[in-house]
Amino acid sequence: MRNKRTLPRERSGKAKLWGGACILLVFAAVSLATAQIAPYPKNDMEFEVWLKPSAAHLLGTDSYGQDVFSQLVYGTRTSFLVGVLAGLITTIIGVLVGVTAGFYRRWVSDALMFVVDLLLIIPVMALMIILASFLPSMGLTSIVLVIGLLSWLYMARSIRSQTLSERQRGYVEAARVAGMSDLSIMLREILPNLYPIILANLVSVTTHAVLAEAGLSFLGIGDPKNVSWGTILALAHANNAIMYDAWWWIVPPGLATALFCFGFILIGNGSLERFRYKRGASQQT
Amino acid sequence: MRIQPSYAVRRVAFAAATLLAAIVMNFLLPRLIAGNPAEMIASQTALGSPEVAEAIKKQFGLENDSLLYQFKQYIVQLAHGNLGISYFNYPTPVSEVLLKALPWTLGIVLISTLLSYAAGWLIGIRGALKPGTWFDNAALGVSFFINSVPYFWIGILLILLFGYKLDWFPMGQAFSVDYDSLSAAGKLRSISYHAVLPIVSLAIASLASHILVLRNNLSRALTEDYMVLARAKGLSGRRRTFHYGVRNAFLPSFTGFMLSLGHVVGGAITMEIVFSYPGIGMLTYNAILNHDYPLIQGAFLMIAVSIIAVNLLADLIYPFIDPRVNLN
Repeated sequence: MRNKRTLPRERSGKAKLWGGACILLVFAAVSLATAQIAPYPKNDMEFEVWLKPSAAHLLGTDSYGQDVFSQLVYGTRTSFLVGVLAGLITTIIGVLVGVTAGFYRRWVSDALMFVVDLLLIIPVMALMIILASFLPSMGLTSIVLVIGLLSWLYMARSIRSQTLSERQRGYVEAARVAGMSDLSIMLREILPNLYPIILANLVSVTTHAVLAEAGLSFLGIGDPKNVSWGTILALAHANNAIMYDAWWWIVPPGLATALFCFGFILIGNGSLERFRYKRGASQQT
Repeated sequence: MRIQPSYAVRRVAFAAATLLAAIVMNFLLPRLIAGNPAEMIASQTALGSPEVAEAIKKQFGLENDSLLYQFKQYIVQLAHGNLGISYFNYPTPVSEVLLKALPWTLGIVLISTLLSYAAGWLIGIRGALKPGTWFDNAALGVSFFINSVPYFWIGILLILLFGYKLDWFPMGQAFSVDYDSLSAAGKLRSISYHAVLPIVSLAIASLASHILVLRNNLSRALTEDYMVLARAKGLSGRRRTFHYGVRNAFLPSFTGFMLSLGHVVGGAITMEIVFSYPGIGMLTYNAILNHDYPLIQGAFLMIAVSIIAVNLLADLIYPFIDPRVNLN
């Protein structure tokens, strides 16, 4: 009975992982081969304005006479880069802080968590706006840094609580008895057991980073020279795309974000399901 | 179920520390990133005469290079409610500009927060009680979708559909052009009519998280041992679900609810821009466009203070709802 119930779960976890990986691979391929996929050069304004979708312009043209589909393809690269890089920075800081705070008791943990709780209350989006608007220029690097350096708080909490429960387990005690140093216990013993939780968190912080970039671009504090899904929406809104009924300019960037995040969510859920399945199995034996 | 003094003191001290951190950040960040604010003020042509720039510099201690001295002056001005003068709306003080925009934001965000929690909790409960049904799956799917799109995009789509295509609601602004000539009832009607789409957009955008959180918590609560015990005691299904399951599942949701009340002021920044709604978000946006630094800082401080205050309130109410936190 138990086996029959858990087996499909493992399979569904695997299917989700694969599905998510496929979606992300497509996005990665698009952002690598933008020039080959986009039918027209970046920011090319030579077409008639407000054209409806047709064979020549799959998603029509905007108020500047740019091909929306091409802009979307170039935007994919920016959004992908910002999401992945900012997500990685967030994850590294989150894991470092989380594992340290979870492993060392007393004042290290207290001090780190005090800082985290404190920063958690301060509105991150508002802080990003302040930073972004005071920085002399917002290049891609500053966007990645602003988002990456400000988003790790929830992740640190979640990694910490998982580390707390891992360090109670027998294998940590065994490693200690075997004379392993704190650092190698953290890196070689505890960290591998945290991978699924880390992956699940990585997924949500990456999703968050893509949405944060869209929000900042919409506020006009992104990188003006770069095309991203957020800047496309910002331009569409600023140029009254609604009044021209230009749904082809409004709908695709949102759907692209949704599909991109969906890929990450699939990976996150799939890895968590597999983790629970494996944990359940190992605890029974 | 009394609140313990030591717990209350700790929470108040924590709120004070957070407030201090927010103030320090607000003071330090612009100075670290953008350099000397005195030069920034001096270079602002919007300030009119050099004498005015000089007066403001003096007021905020900018003529002295010592950061500590500047910080002291900053705190003194803050204590008097002086957030500086808005460059763009010169000579209106920042605090006045902010207070004028505040009611608009509070109105739409408070109502939408209440709405989305009510709907999210109902949908979440129903999904958790009947997991795997089409209703549950649809709710989950829609929630994940909403969580994956920029939330201002939802607003744009609703304007396109209900504002432009169907022409049921206005496409933006907080009231109609002939607002000043309207009677009191007419004004109220105009405001409500214009607020419908922003409120609905905000409610939909935040609905997803509420559904997911409550559904997860309730699903977990339903598998706890005390549910088995309640069943063994012969309690009715309805009593088990609501008094035992939902009550326990609510606790984390309550914290979330209070937190989002705190985010009321700053939570609608991009949505307000989409709807050209004259609240704090729109103000911040214009301040960014006009490089109105005092106003940006003032808006940040206002958002931070509201969050810290509501957080403290939530912490102080929590022991009455869940007596266990006092024990910690």
